[in-house]
Amino acid sequence: MLDLRLPSGFFFAITGLILVATSFTQPRAAMTEANVDLYTGLVMIAFAAILLLLALRSRRA
Amino acid sequence: MHLSPVDYVILILYFAFVIGIGWRLRKSVTSAGEFLTAGHHVPVWITSLAFLAANLGAQEVVGMAASGAKYGIMTSHFYWVGAVPAMLFIGVFMMPFYYGSKARSVPEYLKMRFDEKTRGLNAITFAVMTLFSSGISMYALAKMFNLVLGWDFNSSVLLSGAIVLAYTYLGGLTSAIYNEVLQFFLIVLGFSPLAILSVRRAGGWAGMQQRLPDVMTHAWRYVGHADQNPMGVEAFGLIAGLGFVLSFGYWCTDFLVVQRAMAADSMSAARRTPLIAAFPKMIMPFIVILPGVAALALTKMGSGYSLPQKGGGYDYDQALTTLMAQFYPSGMLGVGLTALMASFMSGMAGNVTAFNTVFTYDIYQGYIRPNASDRHYLTVGRVTTVVGILLSIATAYLAAQFNDIMDFLQLVFGFVNAPLFATFLLGMFWKRATGHGAFIGLLSGTAAAALTHGLTEAEGKGAWITNLHVFPSQMAQNFWIAIFAWSTCLLITIAVSLATAPHPDSRLRGLVYGLTELPSDEGVSWYRRPVPLAIVVAVALVFLNLIFL
Repeated sequence: MLDLRLPSGFFFAITGLILVATSFTQPRAAMTEANVDLYTGLVMIAFAAILLLLALRSRRA
Repeated sequence: MHLSPVDYVILILYFAFVIGIGWRLRKSVTSAGEFLTAGHHVPVWITSLAFLAANLGAQEVVGMAASGAKYGIMTSHFYWVGAVPAMLFIGVFMMPFYYGSKARSVPEYLKMRFDEKTRGLNAITFAVMTLFSSGISMYALAKMFNLVLGWDFNSSVLLSGAIVLAYTYLGGLTSAIYNEVLQFFLIVLGFSPLAILSVRRAGGWAGMQQRLPDVMTHAWRYVGHADQNPMGVEAFGLIAGLGFVLSFGYWCTDFLVVQRAMAADSMSAARRTPLIAAFPKMIMPFIVILPGVAALALTKMGSGYSLPQKGGGYDYDQALTTLMAQFYPSGMLGVGLTALMASFMSGMAGNVTAFNTVFTYDIYQGYIRPNASDRHYLTVGRVTTVVGILLSIATAYLAAQFNDIMDFLQLVFGFVNAPLFATFLLGMFWKRATGHGAFIGLLSGTAAAALTHGLTEAEGKGAWITNLHVFPSQMAQNFWIAIFAWSTCLLITIAVSLATAPHPDSRLRGLVYGLTELPSDEGVSWYRRPVPLAIVVAVALVFLNLIFL
């Protein structure tokens, strides 16, 4: 059976990387100074890392 | 709202993953049971998030932000009153009977517990309602994408239908459940930043309290009387109508959500599914409602953001998308739209997977071909999936053409659903309840609902018999219709049951309280036991309500 943590982890890792890359080239949104793409991208990458680590650990066990 | 290429890249990436998950799961689908009920081996964290996500459609996300802007933090009652208590109840009290009965669907449980006609009534009404609600939400979403992004109505409908078909056809219920979980993560990660940014810009919670009328930032203080709050509801209608009848009727009997819990790999996991789901459910208002409240505060403070106007008032339905346009740069805009698209598609997949199970097992196997091979039912399940999606699409076009008919149908569905929980409550906890009682009780409950609507008026609706009472809002009217329908069903079921021959005890084993061995969880750590888990949820729930009193 497919471990859902793997595809979810890969999806958010790729989306997170896209957001981080975008954050350096795109202008900010109208109502906020914050670099929304960068922060959300980093959170996604961290979340993806947790999912992938957990999946890897249960594979080894 | 303008999308750039990166936004489309994220959307297409998501589509690719969704179909990829279905493709990877296709090999595990070897029997009708695997396809329609996920073979009872889905891990509990997945069933829990799917239990929650199946209900978190795009209409819910957009609608809750709209209600947040319209009614304020009182909207959280739909979660804290109108969902969590029912989720605790089904996990602790009802799941032993659902899972223990080995029924494959909720209508099938009714057949085992009551009789064929009660099952038939429930199966057929459920199948019709599921298709219609799938089509109606498809219509709503395609219309929204058309308005906000200028996407073609036909293309949105056909594309989303094709993708849902691909992954449910390949991987069945497991695929639908997996994608619901992915959607849930996407909703949380895609909309939390919007909540944080919009609330901060509106001056934080304290700033919003200052800028908005008191009634918008308190959940309970103004429910003493219907005139005091914008929802036009009073505490009894709210707690009994929404918190008891409607909420328990949905969360404890609707096969769409119950099916997720029944896919769990053990009785204990099935019971914990709604309890674990209750934790994120309690927190959802912060993600989906707060942006709406912030939108109103931002409008009042002249921040540069304003809710769009419509016919002299605000167009609350656009609260979420207009906020996204103001707070999200390209990239996050893609994530937010993908989250909306995802929640819409998984809502549709949820409807379709519940529909194909009920159709295959309760209608086809029940009445058309009872003794065919498992292979045959797998084929029927697959064909039903295709037909279900085609009928949803047809319904979406019907909704586009005949808005009035759809409103009418939704009203009728409400009448059918309102009494349901009384039937299940008596069925599970009173062994004297009989099939005739349940059937006549359900019909009387539905009739009582229609009658209440015909005799009362709210916002110009109803009172098609005569006008005996005027409700301050349609919401209040709905709550009271539910209360009357439920009470009628309860009383009539009891009366008819007492007048008809009881079912023998031997037939009721494993189906009713008192004749079922309840699962023991001794020796298991507390966080794996339903009752302690439910107590933790209940304490957290009280705490949340006190904060926003």
